[in-house]
Formats: sequence, structure tokens, C-alpha cells
Amino acid sequence: MTKAIELIVSLDPEVMQIAGRSLALAASSCAIATLIAIPLGSVIHFNSFRGKRLLVNIIQTLYSVPTVVVGLFVFVFISRAGPLGNLGLLFTPAAIIIGQVLLVLPIMMGLTISALRGVDVTLTDTAISLGANRFQTAALVIKEARFAMLGAVIMGFGRAISEVGLSLMVGGNIRGFTRTLTTAISLETSKGELELSIALGIILLFIALVVSIVLNRLQQR
Amino acid sequence: MHTNISRMKITISTLAVLLLVVGSLGALTACEGAEEATGAPLKAQERLQVATTTSLYDTGLWGYLEPMFEEEYNVELDVLYAGTGKALEWGQRGDVDVITVHSKSRELQFVADGYGVERVPFAYNYFLIVGPEDDPAGIKGLTPEAAFQKLMEDGSASFVSRGDDSGTHSKEKAIWAAAGYDYEDVRNAGTWYVEAGIGMGPTLTMAHELEAYTLTDMGTYLAFKSDLELVPIVDEGGILLNVYSVIAISPESVSSTNIDMANNLIDFLTSEEIQELIGDYGVEEYGMHLFTPCAGNEPG
Amino acid sequence: MSNNKPIIETTDLGQRLNGRDVLRDINLRIEQGEVFALIGPTGSGKTTLLRLLDLIDKPSQGKVYFNGTDVTESDRQRLDTRRRMAFVLQKPVVFNASVYDNIAYGLKWRGVSRENVHTRVDDILDMIGMVDFHKRNARMLSGGEMQRVAIARAIATEPEVLLLDEPTANLDPVSTAKIEELITDIIQQYRTTIVMATHDMSQGQRLADRVGMLLNGEIVQTGGWHEALNSPRNREMAKFVGIENIINGVVVSSEDNVVTIGTDDSVIEAVSDCAVGEQIHACIRSEEVILALSRLSSSARNTFTGDITRLTFTGPVARVEIDCGFRLVALVTRRSVEEMPLEKGKKVYASFKATAVHVIRRG
Repeated sequence: MTKAIELIVSLDPEVMQIAGRSLALAASSCAIATLIAIPLGSVIHFNSFRGKRLLVNIIQTLYSVPTVVVGLFVFVFISRAGPLGNLGLLFTPAAIIIGQVLLVLPIMMGLTISALRGVDVTLTDTAISLGANRFQTAALVIKEARFAMLGAVIMGFGRAISEVGLSLMVGGNIRGFTRTLTTAISLETSKGELELSIALGIILLFIALVVSIVLNRLQQR
Repeated sequence: MHTNISRMKITISTLAVLLLVVGSLGALTACEGAEEATGAPLKAQERLQVATTTSLYDTGLWGYLEPMFEEEYNVELDVLYAGTGKALEWGQRGDVDVITVHSKSRELQFVADGYGVERVPFAYNYFLIVGPEDDPAGIKGLTPEAAFQKLMEDGSASFVSRGDDSGTHSKEKAIWAAAGYDYEDVRNAGTWYVEAGIGMGPTLTMAHELEAYTLTDMGTYLAFKSDLELVPIVDEGGILLNVYSVIAISPESVSSTNIDMANNLIDFLTSEEIQELIGDYGVEEYGMHLFTPCAGNEPG
Repeated sequence: MSNNKPIIETTDLGQRLNGRDVLRDINLRIEQGEVFALIGPTGSGKTTLLRLLDLIDKPSQGKVYFNGTDVTESDRQRLDTRRRMAFVLQKPVVFNASVYDNIAYGLKWRGVSRENVHTRVDDILDMIGMVDFHKRNARMLSGGEMQRVAIARAIATEPEVLLLDEPTANLDPVSTAKIEELITDIIQQYRTTIVMATHDMSQGQRLADRVGMLLNGEIVQTGGWHEALNSPRNREMAKFVGIENIINGVVVSSEDNVVTIGTDDSVIEAVSDCAVGEQIHACIRSEEVILALSRLSSSARNTFTGDITRLTFTGPVARVEIDCGFRLVALVTRRSVEEMPLEKGKKVYASFKATAVHVIRRG
């Protein structure tokens, strides 16, 4: 344990690089997923169509999709032998981002839909009565749900930064390139380097804590 | 009150911008490794992807050799680790350019199937059977084949198998076959036979917790030794020979493979200078040789 | 009123929700500039009707005309027409934004320029007396303040028709007074046509010119307040407008529109055009019943004797229940109770005029 704390306090450059990469990858994935999930979730919420309930059920079921299943899916697509093989994406950070985006999309979309649903229906009626058209009404409802949607972003980020199976599968845990906190923990644990694993785990928790404190404070205002 | 609202507005948009900036920075730094090499990101020619067996990776040998190779050939070397089965699968799909593995019969099959160019052995050591110091099954001093026969007949002392299609697992199966058993019978022989399905390190830990025997490579055992109450029980016998070879993926099988750089890696590993380094690797840390270099020749 | 067309007219309007007819055969004419009150018990369909008038929901039947144009179907027309009206919902909903932004929304949605929005919102804030509140988050306001913002937000767009759904439900008396004052101001200042739903009869009388009574999804009667209060069309409506004495009977004789009604064991005289043999309800407002300790020789044709069974006070008014073969309720002043004096068990003479009896046919 003391060695673990030493590693953190000394700001070991490799450890810091891994931590920075984890944060950057999760933030990128989360940003991209936000740009997809909020418009898509809104489109689903604001339109009624056949099979909407089924679709929402499916999205909610996908909250708990195992990371390795997403990993396998992405692997099959971007492997050389797969349909997107010639892009050479496998074992690159881009592959991890693609996987993480797919992983967190359902939860972010589902929570976006819930957030919009949580907006009082009388608010929608009020907007319509004040002469808002469909888009103006939707924009208002989205704006009213902004804090609840921040919750969706927090959940997405949390899932992205903590997943390991996916990064291991499509990132390959390449030192200095695709190694993240979680894959490093997995490797170091299997090598018996428990102190280093604990240090990495503490850093991961610390990042998650800081991010969620910042976002939560915004949400509570 | 109203100042809070406007401040909140600002922080939310700031946060959004921040998220995007961190995101794009992240994407940039993530590609940085590629850019360092030549300035053009993610161009296949400038990266070489090698899949290596876990036991080799865990000794730290690749971490030691990687910077030397990168400097000598001005290339970014991506070292991926996996069991031999998975490494072969990646090679077959073209996801890596070169593999270093340790399962002779499967390597020969891989080359025969046209996926690999040539099997080049570059180092070897020996597997060993480790177990509790009091040797409950009494297999000390036996040959590996005789030791496995006794474990099977006795059926009381536990044995932890990797069970993950790795090179070590292949070797274990080869020993069972040499001892005269059908592997399926072994798998179903009883609760004493434990299939772990995990890497070598965790398998050793499991054997330690269960006070069981297991088959391990020398490198991983030495790395974990201090945390284990497992001692070498059987470490002699021709069948325990563990040869590491390097195989370049055939450009006839996978057109996108970086065959020139893969050949460079093979030349590098079999060069006199590097062979010497491999031979001396680990002496300082463990007080013994982890590998015996064999520069392209089949040992034994 | 130069234009003879009603500003809103509905023909055979009906709404079916969740397999139930919430509204049926609504034929309503709202004239330009009038204040029209919709009264009726909870669940009678007032809100549903207002939503149809504001073109928020589409009716399952019938048509809505605005200034003579059918605006029932086309989405474009519905939006354009809706933008000439405003609707304040019963539960005050404000957006999670400043008071200023709340009031500005309707104008922004209509594409009004920034400067015009500014002047307009400032004027309105002045009118509702909330200038100092403009930067405050509307969610932090009290219920009454929220309702004022909601009304201000609605009139900011200078609607031709203002629809109000129970504007003072759930508000304390002080807030209620303020809202009523604001509505009065709007009526005087803008001459806006107003349709308001209320179950508060006195509020309706204070604010509205004309009243429509809604019962179980049907308009049972429209007209002035006097008619509504004194000549309800059916028993439910009579109860709703506060008539406490509703006595079942049958017409036994009729002469010059004066009928004699036989009840279980008494006889009541009333003015009505009902024919002999018709089953009726005789409705007598309790304030029309006069009490005395000795028989009065007055023009009142109906006099009954009975014992006081219950005596309760509400401020300066006393409510007296008498058992005179049937139950009769009278409202008298507290003062006369003390002077006579009246008390429980005492025998009294109760009388009311034949013209005070409103006869409803039972059917």
C-alpha cells in the first residue's frame, strides 16, 4: 500500500501518461456519444411511431450489455478480415473510442429519453399554448431536461472510463499507445504487480470521483 | 440569485466546450504515438504489430527489447500479448504482422496452411511442474509423463490447468498424450482436475490457493515465486522443452501485412547482439538465465 | 362588435378520450370582447373544452371556427390561430428560466425582434408589478407569483382570446384577489375576449358577463348569471349553483301558469307552465325562505310549520334546517336569530313566494 501511494505521489510519468490517456479516451467517447445520444434520444422521444415502446425496451436492455460483447462486435467489424478491415483501426485508440461510444450510447440515449419524459407534460402544453411549433417545443423541453441529461453524461463517462474488456479486446493494451488504467490494472494484476495495480485503481477512482463531483455540482445548482 | 443562474449557464457551456476540447485533445494524443514515428498518423507502413505469448510478455523481455528495435529501425512497435491460440488467430486474420509463440506443432500447421512464412526459433527454456513443498502426490523425481500418470491414478491431489488454448496448455496436453491418456478423459477425470481459463500468473496464484500442482513456464514462475508457496517438483525431461519462435505473416495470405519490417524483427531477434542480451536477460533480477538463445536453430 | 361573426364558434364538438366521451355536442358561440365563464363540477369537461378551443388537442368530432374560418384540421392554420390566442393552464407552470425569459418566450417564438421583446416584457412586468423580479428564476416564486407570471406570459403576445383554466384554484385569498385584479385590468385595458373555467360561482359572477354550464361533458345551459343561478335546467345544475331546497313532486292542478304541486304530504304553489300530472323538482333558494314565530299574513302563498333541527353560523349568516314534513333550509341573518330568538327544537313558520319556486321537469 505504501508503495502504491509512493507511485501516485511521485507522479511516475508512465502512470500519469496512462491516466491521461484513460481520461482523454473516455472523454472523447463520452463527447461523441453525447452528440449522438441527445439528438437521437430526442427524436425517439418527440415522435410517436410503431414499435417505439419495443425500441425503448431494447435500448434499456442494452444498458447491461457486457463490454466484451461490444468488444467482440467491434473486433469482428474492424479486424483485417472484417468489413472495415482496410481502415487499419484494430489495436488503435480509435478502436477503443468506437467501442466505448457503442457501449455508452444505449445508456445515454435511454437516460436522455427518461430525462425528457421526466419533464412535466403541462410544460409541453404550456409551450404549445404560447404558440411554440414542434421544434420550439422540443427545444424548450430539452432545455428543461438539461440537468437530468447531465446525469446521462455522468453515467456514460463512468461506464466508459471503467470498462476493461472492450479496451483489452480492440485496443490490445499496447504500451504507450492503447494502454489505459483498466487494462494496465488487468495486466499488472496478472503479472503479480499488486502495488502498481492498486495505485492505478486509486487513480481511476480519483478521476471518476473528480468528474462526478464536478458534474454533480453543476446538476444540483 | 440571478447571478447564480447566469453563472450556471456559463459553467454548463464551458463544461460542454471543455468536454469537446478534452475529447479532441484525447484523440490527438491517442494518435501521437503514430505521429511521432513519421508525422503521418496511423499509416500501416510505419507501425509493426507483433503478437506475443503472455508468458514471454510477462517476463518483461519485450519491454526491454522494444525501444532498441524501434530506435534501430525507426518504427513504432505495437506489442500485443495473448495466449498462443489467440496470437495465431490474430495472425490468421491479418490483425498483426508477426507473432512470437511457443507451440511447435501448431506453428508448423500455421506455416503449412500458408498463413506464416517460416517458423524461426530464437530462444528456449523449460517448463516445470510446480506444487506444494510437501508433494502430496509424491511425484518428485519422476519424469513428467510418469508424474501425470500418478496424478491421474491417484486422483486426490489437485492439478490446475490453464485451460485456455495457450502454448502452455498445448504443452500440458502433449504431456497427457505422451503419458498415454486421451485428453477428454483427463478433463472428465474428477474434481481434482481444475480448468482455470486464465493467464499463467493467475493460474499460479490459483494453484497456490488450492495447494495444487500446475505446469508453468520458467519466466512467469520466477516473477511470481516470492508470493507463492509452490516449489519446482518436476523440472527435467525432454518433453518440457519450451521453444519460442517468431513467424512473419505471409503477404500471400494477408496483403496488407508489413512483411519487410516483420523480416527486420526476425533479423533483429536472431542477431548476435540481441541473442546475447536474451541469454543474459533476467540474471540480474532472478539470479538465473530465463532463456537460452538459439538463433534460428531447433534446440535439443 | 362591428363584426357579427363570433370570434369562436364550435359546432357539435365532441372529444373521446380513453374510450369515454368526455365532451358531447358542444355548440358554443363566444362573441368578440365578452368575458365568458364556463362553470361546472370537477370532471365535467371544462379543461378538455378549453384545450379544444385553444387548438391544443384535436376534437374527435365537430368543428372549431375562429372568426368564421374552420380551423379544426390544418396544422398550419391551427398553429397560426393558436398564436392569436393564449391559454393559462390551471396548474401554474413556469419554465426553469428567469421571469424575464418566461414572459419573453411567446414573443420569441413568434419571431418578434429583440428590442420589441424587451419593451413589451418591461411593460408587462410593470403591469403585474414584478419589475424587480425580472432576473429571478421563476421556479423560485410563490404559487401566486407564478400564476401572475403565467398570465403575464400569456398576455405578452397580445392575444385576441385569453383562455383561463381555474386561474385561482389552489391559491390563498390574498393571491386570489391579486389575480382577479389583474384579470380585471386586462379586461379594461385590452378588451380581450376571455373564456374562463371556474368552479367558484362568485368569482365567475365578479368577472364574467355570460356563463355556460357544463355537466357531464354537455353544455346544459348558457346565458346571464341571473338565469343561471335562479333557473337551472336540471337537478344537478340546481345543486351546483347552490340551491339547497329541491323537493320532488307532481303537478296536481294548473291555472294561469300558477301550479299546485303535491309532495309527499304537503302542497306547494309555484309559477310554471307545467301541465297537470308532470313529475317535477321544486327548487327554492334558501335565502328566499322567510322565518317567523307566528303565522304571517303576507303575499307568500306557501307557509309551513316545523321544528328547527339544526342551526349553524357562517359569519353573519345563519343556516336553519327545519323539519316540516320535508326538509327545508333557510338562510337568515345572525341578528334575526338572536332577536327572535331561534334555537334548536323551536317551532317556526317558514314561508316563500310562489315566484321564488323554480320548477324543473323530472325526466
